[in-house]
Amino acid sequence: MKTTVMIAEDEPLMRERLLTMLELCWPEAQVMLVAENGNDAWDGFLEHEPEVVFLDIRMPGLSGLEVAERIGKRAHVVFVTAYDQYAVDAFDAGAVDYLLKPVQAERLQRALARLRDKLGAAPADMAHLLHSLRAALPAPPREKMKWLKASVGKQIRLIDINDVLFFQADTKYTRVVLAGSEALVRTPLKDLLGGLDPEQFWQIHRGTMVNVKAIEAAERIDAERMQVLVRGSAEKLPVSRTFTHLFRE
Amino acid sequence: MWKQFSKWYSDFEDETLRVLAYPETAAQVAGTLRRRSFTRLAGLTPIERQQMHAFVQKYRGITFYWVILKLIVLCSIIGLVLHSLFPDKLRLVAALTVSNLAGLAIAWSILGVWFNYRKLAHKKFKVLALFLLSPAATGMALGIMRTVLIEGGSFSAGLLSGGRIGAIAALTAGLVYLVPMSIVAIWRNREYEALTLKLERDAERERMARELSESQLRLLRAQIEPHFLFNTLGAVQQLAEQGAPKAAALTADLIAFLRTSLDKMRREQVPLQGEFDMVAAYLRVMQARMGQRLRFQLDLPAELADTLIPSMIVLTLAENAIKHGIEPALRGGDIHVSAQLVGSMLRLRVRDTGMGLRQVDVSAAGGGLGLDNIRSRLQLAAQHGGGPAGSLEVRNGEESGVIADILLSYKTMTEETA
Repeated sequence: MKTTVMIAEDEPLMRERLLTMLELCWPEAQVMLVAENGNDAWDGFLEHEPEVVFLDIRMPGLSGLEVAERIGKRAHVVFVTAYDQYAVDAFDAGAVDYLLKPVQAERLQRALARLRDKLGAAPADMAHLLHSLRAALPAPPREKMKWLKASVGKQIRLIDINDVLFFQADTKYTRVVLAGSEALVRTPLKDLLGGLDPEQFWQIHRGTMVNVKAIEAAERIDAERMQVLVRGSAEKLPVSRTFTHLFRE
Repeated sequence: MWKQFSKWYSDFEDETLRVLAYPETAAQVAGTLRRRSFTRLAGLTPIERQQMHAFVQKYRGITFYWVILKLIVLCSIIGLVLHSLFPDKLRLVAALTVSNLAGLAIAWSILGVWFNYRKLAHKKFKVLALFLLSPAATGMALGIMRTVLIEGGSFSAGLLSGGRIGAIAALTAGLVYLVPMSIVAIWRNREYEALTLKLERDAERERMARELSESQLRLLRAQIEPHFLFNTLGAVQQLAEQGAPKAAALTADLIAFLRTSLDKMRREQVPLQGEFDMVAAYLRVMQARMGQRLRFQLDLPAELADTLIPSMIVLTLAENAIKHGIEPALRGGDIHVSAQLVGSMLRLRVRDTGMGLRQVDVSAAGGGLGLDNIRSRLQLAAQHGGGPAGSLEVRNGEESGVIADILLSYKTMTEETA
């Protein structure tokens, strides 16, 4: 069986380079998705659940570190970064592998050999590494969204983020559900995600973010599936397997 | 005895030199009285300390004894001359004693003034009072005592003669002491002030030179930033492996950018055309890497092409637009670089449609974005050219992104060019 792989890299030539080299050095790999930014990477991960993820650290949208944090122990991560002494120091201390850009064939071979050895085992815990990387590569604090602009007919409605019960992906748009009404915003959910406070809005499904304060209960449907009941809405929101850990006692 | 004295003296000298060189050691000196006098030494201004240090160093050890000996010989000769001129009034022993005492006292006080001139200048009245009033008072007291006690005269007669003696004493002290001392003090003070001024000027010049080289260093660091270099080289490698003709074009742009930026960094002023060429090479490199995500346009009117501006300032704004505007934006964006005359001002504008300024950027007043660097470059250029300093304004665009404007007074620039 082929190993499923995802690549996330924002520069097209670098993307191509990693892709062609991977195909050459690791024919057993099946590249499911090549993401151009952090938001697509996270969304693509939820969609394809690849076993191995090559993550560029500097990307538009969610950074490589933020994506890795969300992935947690659900995939083997290999970071890709241009030279940065602090980052390299942090990597050398950890169990997670890294590639320096521009990626050279010999180095990639070595990383792949190590990766193949680890594939049977559970992915390494990155919490410690991510912590030291965040200290080494200070990113400006991300600004949290306070308001949403949604068009309703001819009007532009301003919606206070705190009033939102949940967001639901709807192809290119996002459904914003409030108590007693709803609106549509032109931004896909994956691109809204970075501006939402993860403490306030929990992602419970690839296409659903729910306001923690609005959650009334989570209930089990069967051994695998769960759903969330929301105060002020009759809809029941399915929880995907990836996120059921949020509701475990 | 003499050995003891010379050892004590050389110890004293060593300690003096040490305190003068390292004033903070004054508190470690043993003995209350000594410590107090050394603390005073430590309280002198750095220039005074330096002068005194040089003096003590020069007259160290045996040299000092020789000087004293020469002085005694000189005073004794004066005494002998005085004795031979007035053999009736001055006996030999008296003449020698008086001339030596007076000579050494004057030498001592000149030495005092030599190093205490700041105090003399600052406390004029106190010194005046001390030098005039104390001989007057002493003279008066002696006069009264002589008239009343020795000659048995009345107190009023004593007062009269005492007043006369006091006045003579004050006058003598004034002539012998005050006039030469004041001349020495005034002269030394002038020297001190000139020295201070020179030191201040040196410090200022040094500060400006340091600022300039610091800003050049920062620019250098930005140019050879590993992220930029390695990512660009990676792009070149990938294009070359594909056999794409674009590889040669990208390499050419990278070479042009690196060469011109390294070259311009060493120059204070560059013509606008050169700056724009460099910015264009940089943006072409970034476009080769970012693909569809970056679009750009440069507008430089032909009549402004030769205008001189401080080097690298437009490039810094363009780099900011890429790094903080376009690169972090999901869909990328446009960059528009332009030069335009607005009234009597030259406006250099870099406008992007990227992320826009975040609250944190605005509150930090652009610190860390190289903006402080541009501002200090503008100020340095104004100090060199003598014109008014240019200004830099960075704000959010109406729809999206950032508008960064540099305004330079056009008149002074054309005069410089002419």
